[in-house]
Amino acid sequence: MILGIETSCDETAAAIVTRAGEIGSNVVASQAELHAEFGGVVPEIASRRHLELVLPVVRRALDDAGTSLDEVELVAVTRGPGLVGALLVGVSAAKALAWSRRLPLAPVDHLDGHVASLYLEPHPFEPPFVCLLASGGHTSLLDVRSHSSTRVLGRTLDDAVGEAFDKGARLLGLGYPGGAAIDALAREGDPGAFEFPVARVPGLDFSFSGVKTSLLYAVRKLSAEELDRRRADLAASYQRALVRALVERTEAAAELIGAERVAVVGGVAANSELRASLPWARAAPLPLCTDNAAMIASAARWVEALPYPRYLALDAYASAA
Amino acid sequence: MLTIAFDTATDVATSALVWDGEVLGELRSRPVGVLEDVDALLRRGGVRATQLEGIVVGTGPGSFTGVRMGLAYARALSLSLGVPVAGVSTLAALAAGSPGALPVVDARRGEVFVLDGEALVCRPEDVAASGRLLVGNGAVRYRVTFEEHGGEVAPDEDEAHLPRARFHAQLAQRFGAAEDVEPIYLRIPDARKART
Ligand SMILES: [Zn+2]
Repeated sequence: MILGIETSCDETAAAIVTRAGEIGSNVVASQAELHAEFGGVVPEIASRRHLELVLPVVRRALDDAGTSLDEVELVAVTRGPGLVGALLVGVSAAKALAWSRRLPLAPVDHLDGHVASLYLEPHPFEPPFVCLLASGGHTSLLDVRSHSSTRVLGRTLDDAVGEAFDKGARLLGLGYPGGAAIDALAREGDPGAFEFPVARVPGLDFSFSGVKTSLLYAVRKLSAEELDRRRADLAASYQRALVRALVERTEAAAELIGAERVAVVGGVAANSELRASLPWARAAPLPLCTDNAAMIASAARWVEALPYPRYLALDAYASAA
Repeated sequence: MLTIAFDTATDVATSALVWDGEVLGELRSRPVGVLEDVDALLRRGGVRATQLEGIVVGTGPGSFTGVRMGLAYARALSLSLGVPVAGVSTLAALAAGSPGALPVVDARRGEVFVLDGEALVCRPEDVAASGRLLVGNGAVRYRVTFEEHGGEVAPDEDEAHLPRARFHAQLAQRFGAAEDVEPIYLRIPDARKART
């Protein structure tokens, strides 16, 4: 049994996963409500909440899986990238749990975790493939050659696409997190109503700051009454622009390296238009799209675990190397 | 009672292994490496983690991240080993190391945490320093201010400025459920402050 712990952003999560990739439990305590009034994650508030939640969440993951710490052979924890103060809550708890039982500890990169959400039972999707990782913190195209070998083909130069959804939702007066709110409203709108061009940057990188600005201008041009009437059209057009950018780049990446298989992971992989626009791609199962610890435990299966006592001074890291 | 005590609220972390009041060992390190010290203390003492009967943790105030690390360690150890936890304020432990002195911890942003009757956060010039001996990293950092206000600060390298876990162990009274031991932040997050 592998115990996974994830506290990189605003979900406090713990999970039990077997070496074969079966999920015994997957507990996620979302803090979204806590951050809603601020329209985004507040690091200090997130870190305080992680401390309150991390051990209760671990206890529940063990209970839900019908197991105990005695059965755990490996502790896996997200080491980065993410909010350092938040990560350190999970890393500290993981280190202490592993140390007290002389267990090995696997430090997992959060991005590898998202990719490894595809490797879990009952329908694992195996490398090689091109992977679009789209979330509130990341937007990257990855060339996944094997379970342990991944190369970055492109990444966002400014905002992550999930951030672009959140900021768009705020401009439209919708709630946080914005992805789900825009997705729901877009269904009632006309995606062709507004033209929101997405900046084309060279190579396989992304840029989403321009499209957010064009939404801002469009909103400013409308009276309050018009905005009310056209909100769904704006949401649909904005979502269309973001999804189109993701799909174009993903297809270009697959073509460039001759990949026949494509996967989509991360919180934005839950977006219904994105899923519908890449019907031939494998999207991560919905419960595994947003941050969770099952994917961290899954990734740990291909990470070189640190034996006791080599992890005792392990630190977290904020950004990708 | 065999207890391990540690405090990671300030830049210099401290840990001690204490058996019925007898200090078997005490070490200092960086907060992120305090478990290395805990491990070394247990090995030198010939003790296994499963033999521990209590955990004492410094609850701050200090660096928010440091305070949380200490509490995450303590709560995880408690869950894993099934032993109770006692929390001791970092300021109280500093004071216990220098009886009669005023403990002052650097709170950054030009402020200090001080224990003067109650724990509070304020600017160094607002501390009632006159005629008092001040200890702690806040006392060292604002030595000039405190001395101008008639206070006395021990030499920089005096170990009275560092929290020492032996005093946490000494002050620990009520051992109980780990989640009842709460961090002492003394400051609300900036984002919340902006809203109130
Ligand atoms: Zn993520």
